[in-house]
Amino acid sequence: MTAPVTPALLYLDNVSVSFDGFRALNALSLAIDHAEMRAIIGPNGAGKTTMMDVITGKTRPNEGIALFEGSHDLTALDEAAIAELGIGRKFQTPTVFEMHSVEDNLLLALKEKRSPFATLLSRRTAQERERVDALLERVRLTSSRHRKAGELSHGQKQWLEIGMLLAQQPKLLLIDEPAAGMTDQETADTADLLRDIARTQSVVVVEHDMTFVRDLGVKVTCLHEGSVLAEGSLDAVSANERVVEVYLGR
Amino acid sequence: MTNQPLLDRQSIVVLALLAAVAILVPALNILAAPGSVLHVSDHLVPLFGKYICFALLALSVDLIWGFCGILSLGHGAFFALGGYAMGMYLMRQIGPRGVYSDPVLPDFMVFLNWKELPWFWHGFDWLPLAALMVLLVPGALAFIFGWFAFRSRVTGVYLSIITQAMTFALMLAFFRNDMGFGGNNGLTDFKDILGFPLQAASTRIGLFVLSVAALAGGYLLCRWVVSSKFGKVLVAVRDAESRTRFLGYRVEHYKLAVFTLSAMLAGVAGALYVPQVGIINPSEFAPANSIEVVIWVAVGGRGTLAGAILGALVVNAGKTWFTGVLPEFWLFALGGLFVFVTLLMPRGILGAAKDIWERSGRRLRPARVPEATAQAAE
Amino acid sequence: MTSLRSILQAFVLLIGMASAAMAGPYEDALPKFAADSYADTEAAVSGVAGSGHPLALNVVEALRDGRLLVAAGRVYLRDVSGRLIDAATGGAVEPAAGLKPVRVNNRVRRAIEAALGGMTLLSPDAGARLEAARAVFRSRDAAALPVLEKAIAQESAVAVRDALEGARAAILLSRPDASSSERLAAIETLHIRGDQDALALLTTLPPGAPSDIAEAASKAADGIRTRLALWNAVQNVWYGLSLGSVLLLAAIGLAITFGTMGVINMAHGEMVMIGAYTTFLVQELIRTHAPGLFGASLFIALPLAFLVAGAIGILIERTVIRFLYGRPLETLLATWGLSLILQQGVRTIFGPTNREVGTPGWMSGALDVAGLSLTYNRITIVVFAFLVFSALLGVLRYTSLGLYVRAVTQNRRMAGSMGIRTSRIDALAFGLGSGVAGIAGVALSQIDNVSPNLGQGYIIDSFMVVVFGGVGNLWGTLVGAMTLGIANKLLEPYAGAVLGKILLLVAIILFIQRRPRGLFALKGRAVEA
Repeated sequence: MTAPVTPALLYLDNVSVSFDGFRALNALSLAIDHAEMRAIIGPNGAGKTTMMDVITGKTRPNEGIALFEGSHDLTALDEAAIAELGIGRKFQTPTVFEMHSVEDNLLLALKEKRSPFATLLSRRTAQERERVDALLERVRLTSSRHRKAGELSHGQKQWLEIGMLLAQQPKLLLIDEPAAGMTDQETADTADLLRDIARTQSVVVVEHDMTFVRDLGVKVTCLHEGSVLAEGSLDAVSANERVVEVYLGR
Repeated sequence: MTNQPLLDRQSIVVLALLAAVAILVPALNILAAPGSVLHVSDHLVPLFGKYICFALLALSVDLIWGFCGILSLGHGAFFALGGYAMGMYLMRQIGPRGVYSDPVLPDFMVFLNWKELPWFWHGFDWLPLAALMVLLVPGALAFIFGWFAFRSRVTGVYLSIITQAMTFALMLAFFRNDMGFGGNNGLTDFKDILGFPLQAASTRIGLFVLSVAALAGGYLLCRWVVSSKFGKVLVAVRDAESRTRFLGYRVEHYKLAVFTLSAMLAGVAGALYVPQVGIINPSEFAPANSIEVVIWVAVGGRGTLAGAILGALVVNAGKTWFTGVLPEFWLFALGGLFVFVTLLMPRGILGAAKDIWERSGRRLRPARVPEATAQAAE
Repeated sequence: MTSLRSILQAFVLLIGMASAAMAGPYEDALPKFAADSYADTEAAVSGVAGSGHPLALNVVEALRDGRLLVAAGRVYLRDVSGRLIDAATGGAVEPAAGLKPVRVNNRVRRAIEAALGGMTLLSPDAGARLEAARAVFRSRDAAALPVLEKAIAQESAVAVRDALEGARAAILLSRPDASSSERLAAIETLHIRGDQDALALLTTLPPGAPSDIAEAASKAADGIRTRLALWNAVQNVWYGLSLGSVLLLAAIGLAITFGTMGVINMAHGEMVMIGAYTTFLVQELIRTHAPGLFGASLFIALPLAFLVAGAIGILIERTVIRFLYGRPLETLLATWGLSLILQQGVRTIFGPTNREVGTPGWMSGALDVAGLSLTYNRITIVVFAFLVFSALLGVLRYTSLGLYVRAVTQNRRMAGSMGIRTSRIDALAFGLGSGVAGIAGVALSQIDNVSPNLGQGYIIDSFMVVVFGGVGNLWGTLVGAMTLGIANKLLEPYAGAVLGKILLLVAIILFIQRRPRGLFALKGRAVEA
């Protein structure tokens, strides 16, 4: 596949995944443009996490197409290769390297050569230091740079993880419930940060918190039982009868 | 990378202590009058040498378990393979001085009525080749085993169990006479190494000093590895494997690299062990041995390197003392140690000492026991 | 037997006296014994044996035992009680002067064996006839042919007649002067007989056999080979089934503790050992206090072993393992330590040597089915293993304990929040797993050495079974155990016991690479958590 099939950055078409007969994704189709931010909502079990697993190479779909930049077949690549293509993923529960310092967490995430040999011989450069400094500033962790990541608060860990994503310089960020467990102020700050990121990079945010989604003010996709139920502005989607039905369980 | 220079305070202490041992033991053996309290008798030198080899083996286990979360219950296999490579060299050195006086064939082959040397025994009369094999054979086995295991993401207890099965299978294989490694009896009756008689006190001192040097070298190598960015990735894999993967690191390559390196270190330990104890036989492959190594590391404190050395020395000295004084109780003591350390001292002697020091020194916040080390948080 | 034999001898002697006056082949042959030449003696043996004379058997037996004597051209035999008897008349006589035993050499001895075989073919005792038929089959002595024909004609027992016909076929086949049709019939008989001996006969035709005979023989031999290979395979599968049952017994308790609780219990083998030692103690008590109960000793030991091992299991869970949940590698190390302590404890109490555990009478012996020999203790273990498996399956499926255990297995947190006391279930499940190991110990005490190391021998195999079968699934354990058992025994004939085992271990290691969670693994998101 050399010629781009689609202008979209991320293109999923007719993707299905089943575990032991249970269909986690059912002919899901989705397209994300360059520098677009998209919010994904949907009740539990709608397939949000599985969709991220497919995009990042953790789960292989039973059928369907998953293309990145119109030419890379995501279904044929492993996690590491997909990460190198420029897709970063933040987990639902913040996952950072707890025994490493905040600074080391970011250094490990910096876009550098990833092979064992390269890391064994690597020396930290002034340029790397600058990039880490800038990242620390951006996620507001400069004062904690030497602390162990495990000692950070929940919200700080969320931000550190987003910082690590940014250090990868990805073209697409997949962010799973960034506002979970955050104070109102932190939630608002996170929305600002994501909007800022979306100026240059594409962002897909999975979120339950509707206030937060409203804050983002972007196009919303509602998933249900592994496929797209509705798509559009938040107001349009929440007015959709079927969405209401799914959420209120009528 | 950031706050760990190659020679941190811990490394300097370890190296200084090792240097002291390398000087003191021979000195007290040669200079102190026999019968004086300070005298290190001739049979103690190879005993200490054995401990040093065990410490190197423990170091190799700590490198993968303490820093990468790979619990190998089969590292005794790499140790034994290194030992066999050295044993084959020593066997060839016997030459016509064997019981059957065959200039080429070792005694056990004559006994089994073999007419010629099996192909894999050729060249082992040349120390450089034998030394290369000490590294290559365990390294190759670890590479092949690890390539399969890590690629298919076998982790945790599953990996531990198949490493145990690996060493068990090797033990069965080496017990067979037709494997060509002396079967049950293994390789023994060694005479000399590079022309120096193994029974001579001077050779034993030489081997002891060489072992200490190998341990120091191994320590430095491990320290260098774990303080590089590579080492940071290892710890990252240990603590959050998926996160590391999604950052774009090929976790299996890292595991494979460190597993192979660790197996080579274990092989070197085995190679130095054999001339000092004078025998290598298939019981070295016994799964129980490999598990014992793990407890040395746990006792000293895993993920610290120095702790592995300390643990190996403490447990083995304890074993020597117990088997001399209360032989029946050694297994009770060892078993109790397994339970005690895992339940009450999960960070080992060094970790506990550090906790106490930190608590008395600066009472800022209670030291956290990092439970996350064993589980890959998702 | 001996008394029956002597009565019979007395009986034939009596008849012999009555017919002594008549001359016949017997009387013709008898004097040849006095000729003092081996060739004559040999001729005399076959003459006497073929005579059908009532005294013939006694004469030949006496010759074999050196009790046949000659003096002055007359032949005498000394019977078992020491009386001297005239071989021609059967009457007791006074010892004559110059009695000399008839000398025999190896050739004569062979003739004697064949002759005896031929004569006992007519023995009233079916066992003796069968034995004789087999002897003739082996010796293939043509001299026995007439008696054989006679014996076949009057034989009523099927098994004996088959043996007799086999013997006749053996003789005919190796006799160059037998007719072509006779030999073909013989080949067919041997083909039907179809054992190793028949195969040996068919493949060693006398030189110069006509081509059609040779062809038929080689075809029959091929047929036998195929059949033997098949029976051999069946036998090996049986051995495999029996080994698989042993593995199943050893592993099934582990399947509960490892599979449902995620606990690596390295002391599991020691629970098996404790069960075996419980059996030993029960038998000791029975021996000293109630020897009559010995046959029931295993049934008494079963519940006791379950309780003892189960109680120790619960103790271990409460004091050690429960502090280590969520840290599987630490659990592995701690339980390994416990296994060392238990082993040394048993060694201190009972000594390091093997302890004798007896086998009740009803478990010894073997059942012969077609070409197979199935020993009763193996049959018992196979049946027992399946009983234990079904019982455990039932417990997990139909009891509330089973329901809770399954709930905790699938979702510990959810089960906890539904009011199941997970820590109590853990303890009980651990006790159950350990108790089943104890029961396995009772069975294994029957086929393995009861020593402190008993459990060590099973631990790696048990883990292989559980890991291969798939964690958290008893059916997986069953399939795993049987597959490994049968594969092991099928590999053994080609690779040898040790190499076969090594190959199997390597195969499992490779298998785990392909399916890291075993044959019957739970799939989906549940296992990722």
